[in-house]
Amino acid sequence: MKTLEEVLQDWEAVIGLEVHCELTKLETKMFCGCKLEFGAPPNTHTCPVCLGLPGALPVPNRAAIQSIVLAGLATNCDIEKHTMFYRKGYMYPDMAKNFQTTQGPKAFCMRGHLDLTVDGRGAKERLFWEDLAEGETSENMTRTADGYVAHVGITRIHMEEDAGKMVHIGGGEGRIAGATHSLVDYNRAGTPLIELVTEPDLRTPEEARLFMHKLRQIFLTLGISDCSMEEGSLRADGNISLRRRGSKEFGTKTELKNINSFKNLHDGLAYEICRQAEVLEEGGKIYQETRHWDPSKKHTIVMRVKETADDYRMFPDPDLAPYDLSDEFIERVRAKLPELPDQKAARFERDYGLSSYDARHLVEHRFTTEFFEEACAEAGDRAKELAKPLANLALNDISAYVNAGEGIDFSKTAFSPARGVALVSLLAEDVISSKQAKEVFAAVLEEDKDPDAIVEERGMKQVSDTGAIEAVIDEVLAANPDKVAAYKGGKTGLIGFFVGQCMKAMKGQGNPKLINELLAKKLDA
Amino acid sequence: MAGFASMGVREIQVGLASKDFSAREVAQAALERIAKCDDEVHAYLEVTEELALQAADQIDEALASGKSPAEIGPIAGVPIAFKDNMNLKGTHTTCSSRMLESYVSPYTATCVARAIQAGGIPLGKLNMDEFAFGSSTETSAFGRTHNPWDLERVPGGSSGGSAAAVAAGLATVTLGSDTGGSIRQPGSFTGTVAVKPTYGVVSRYGIVAFGSSLDQVGPFARSVEDAALTLNAISGHDPLDCTSQPVDTDFTANLAEGAKGMRVGFVPAFMEAQGLEPEVKAIVEQAAKHLADAGAELVEVELPNAQAAMSAYYVLGPCEAFSNLSRFDSVRYGYCDPGHKDLGSQYEASRANGFGPEARRRIMLGSYLLSAGVYDKYYYPAQQVRTLITADYTRAYEKCDVILAPVSPRTAFKFGEISDPTSMYLSDMFTISINIAGNGGMSLPAGLGADTHLPVGVQLIGPQFKDENMFRAAAALEQVYGKAPLAPAFA
Repeated sequence: MKTLEEVLQDWEAVIGLEVHCELTKLETKMFCGCKLEFGAPPNTHTCPVCLGLPGALPVPNRAAIQSIVLAGLATNCDIEKHTMFYRKGYMYPDMAKNFQTTQGPKAFCMRGHLDLTVDGRGAKERLFWEDLAEGETSENMTRTADGYVAHVGITRIHMEEDAGKMVHIGGGEGRIAGATHSLVDYNRAGTPLIELVTEPDLRTPEEARLFMHKLRQIFLTLGISDCSMEEGSLRADGNISLRRRGSKEFGTKTELKNINSFKNLHDGLAYEICRQAEVLEEGGKIYQETRHWDPSKKHTIVMRVKETADDYRMFPDPDLAPYDLSDEFIERVRAKLPELPDQKAARFERDYGLSSYDARHLVEHRFTTEFFEEACAEAGDRAKELAKPLANLALNDISAYVNAGEGIDFSKTAFSPARGVALVSLLAEDVISSKQAKEVFAAVLEEDKDPDAIVEERGMKQVSDTGAIEAVIDEVLAANPDKVAAYKGGKTGLIGFFVGQCMKAMKGQGNPKLINELLAKKLDA
Repeated sequence: MAGFASMGVREIQVGLASKDFSAREVAQAALERIAKCDDEVHAYLEVTEELALQAADQIDEALASGKSPAEIGPIAGVPIAFKDNMNLKGTHTTCSSRMLESYVSPYTATCVARAIQAGGIPLGKLNMDEFAFGSSTETSAFGRTHNPWDLERVPGGSSGGSAAAVAAGLATVTLGSDTGGSIRQPGSFTGTVAVKPTYGVVSRYGIVAFGSSLDQVGPFARSVEDAALTLNAISGHDPLDCTSQPVDTDFTANLAEGAKGMRVGFVPAFMEAQGLEPEVKAIVEQAAKHLADAGAELVEVELPNAQAAMSAYYVLGPCEAFSNLSRFDSVRYGYCDPGHKDLGSQYEASRANGFGPEARRRIMLGSYLLSAGVYDKYYYPAQQVRTLITADYTRAYEKCDVILAPVSPRTAFKFGEISDPTSMYLSDMFTISINIAGNGGMSLPAGLGADTHLPVGVQLIGPQFKDENMFRAAAALEQVYGKAPLAPAFA
């Protein structure tokens, strides 16, 4: 099979996502008063309504409607003021009524969009952006200094209820094939669910990954869901088709399921693109089918072939009156919108003079955002001066620390934002070197002490005395006459060697900036 | 306790207040009468003796503590029974279907709970057409109910058990449900006061749904006042049914006002309808005359789109029924055909054998009507027709306060007399447009037909959420006809 890079030379991938997000932050289910709780014993949060008992009727959860309107406003959607709930019929034991209550042609949120900033390694998957001039737009892509912005349309976000959870026993890995028994847990039945459908505007697996990442950040900021892909509260299905470069017609699409991480989304889509290309290049045909991504075997397998479109016999739910949202309600919800990641990043650039790259990455994760904001507040008047090193601290040391550990809540560690300010201050005042700063960072987390105390205890102060440094330099140069000759002969890269030798002699406490300056002066003299 | 069968709500309450008898004695009298007479009628599918005596004892305790019956509730001490599509915790709710033969309700419908809360003594559950599909109660899987006026004849349907129980004095009042005429038509066939309120007056929570946008619960009684008191007990907003409305009308308030000054609408097209028997037509005309004599003004009104109601109904009703009945799949409860190894064949066999022919017919019809490509041709136009009919009624009520019409084109027919479904559907020709529009309508007994000597009801139709208008006109007519008698064989 060809690599993704090779395939994308000849083929354009057309990707759309269907994202399901459970509104886990709500107290109760979508149409009844049952409590929402993940992990409760099976069938303990049920009632006549979510069990679909004869005679039970749904009553919509207003808080859920508020959540979907928040989601719509945050993704630039138009809010439809007059919508209806529909019944979508299908017989399966996970849906007790044998129909799902969802929305019809008009959803609460229609016609939105998100812009994705793609640069660095991620931008390599897309072709031709380098042909554009900065600021120039082609199709849905606008060139930036070091990458591009992809404009991704959102068709709609609609409200629906989740199904119960089926567990199959006796077959392999809980799958239905070969199972002897099937069990249903209706605790999840009726969980408020929003489904977001994108336009087929995504062109690379990386764009799909970035879209999901951005969406997750927005939903987390709105506080409407815990957005856990592992637990299934955030799920994405990908629709993928290929077309020859230059063609405007869509190819036959497949639907990719079982994606429970960002990596799986990227890798599953990448695999499926390569698989489709192989089939097409060998003269084969793509069938409209649902495929299951198997992350351990790194391939997709057919789940279900859709020979004809499913007939869900949709019609307006007569138990639920048409839903009218007043302007007043929408404005009240709008007033509750928190600062969204993009707005926050713009503020970081504006107020603290951060680069757009730093600002964008800071808002990608809650722990980096919170640390940075609290540290800046702690720094007071010096915030602007310390913002860059604080951002570096958050994006490098703190990110590495959090990523290395499983499920660490950084705000609960000994490294408080105030200690962060103290650490970068020591660095800014040249009291310690950046290498020493890393040691202090680790020591604060380990020993729960202030950075100043650690520096004091370990005698880590940086030597910035020019006389002392010059003496060390002289020793080093005298001990390596051959290297000095080579340097003077043009091998200027040897400067690193000399700096290293000086640092070693000073037990890492020399001011690297001064060592560099003074070395250069002596060698170039 | 003597004379229970013919007593109305007031008489029972006067007797209780003056300690002529206790609520327990009332309950026992009712239970004894059911034991004695229901073999002939077969109105009941289940008799809830224990619940009845328990409720009666509570009322006796409240009376002993010094409360008056009115303070306990509008129907304190009144024996009441429920159509078998209404959930009452701990009782079977079968909808007269094999599908739910063994189903025991784990919860109680709002209207049932309110009736018991208001002092009603729950006697049991009443026979009906299977899932309310029918106009004769012949589609019940558990035997037919006999019309107390002529045991060879049907009591009407689908609330045939509810109507027959009241006509035979096997309950003082009962509750039924009406989707296309299922309260009013059996009311006419059995000579009982039978009320379908405006859609939204009574909560549907706990009523096994047939056509969710059409179904409405209402009372059967032998007097207009008893029906009004029962409706007072069960009406009003229910947080569990978002289509229920905040109605706090006292339906007894204007019963004594008489018809003087009322504008009574008369629909000439109804009187010329094909199939309307002369004896029924004569009684409706006579009722109009009585109202005019009482000082009402008769005005002609037109409902130009009402003739399309039947077509719209047989699109919307089956569509909603198809969807509502899809939950009966043998998986969690209900009939399960044994021995199947895969889900698909278990579904098919359980539904094929659990549902009767009329239920299967409506499910298949709904499934077809909602399918891709067909939906746009039928469902959508049917909704448009619905809008037009609703507008017809709104326009008509600019000229009148209540409309007088036939209920059923004929009196009760014999078992098996009408065998083809389409002719059976025509039983509801004068009642269906009211469900389509959502207005309230009621059947008031207006004597016996000149030819068949069987009860004939006249229909009074009110503007939406002005059900008190039809109660007022009905009370005025009741002045002329007298209260509904027990069927002679049970008097």
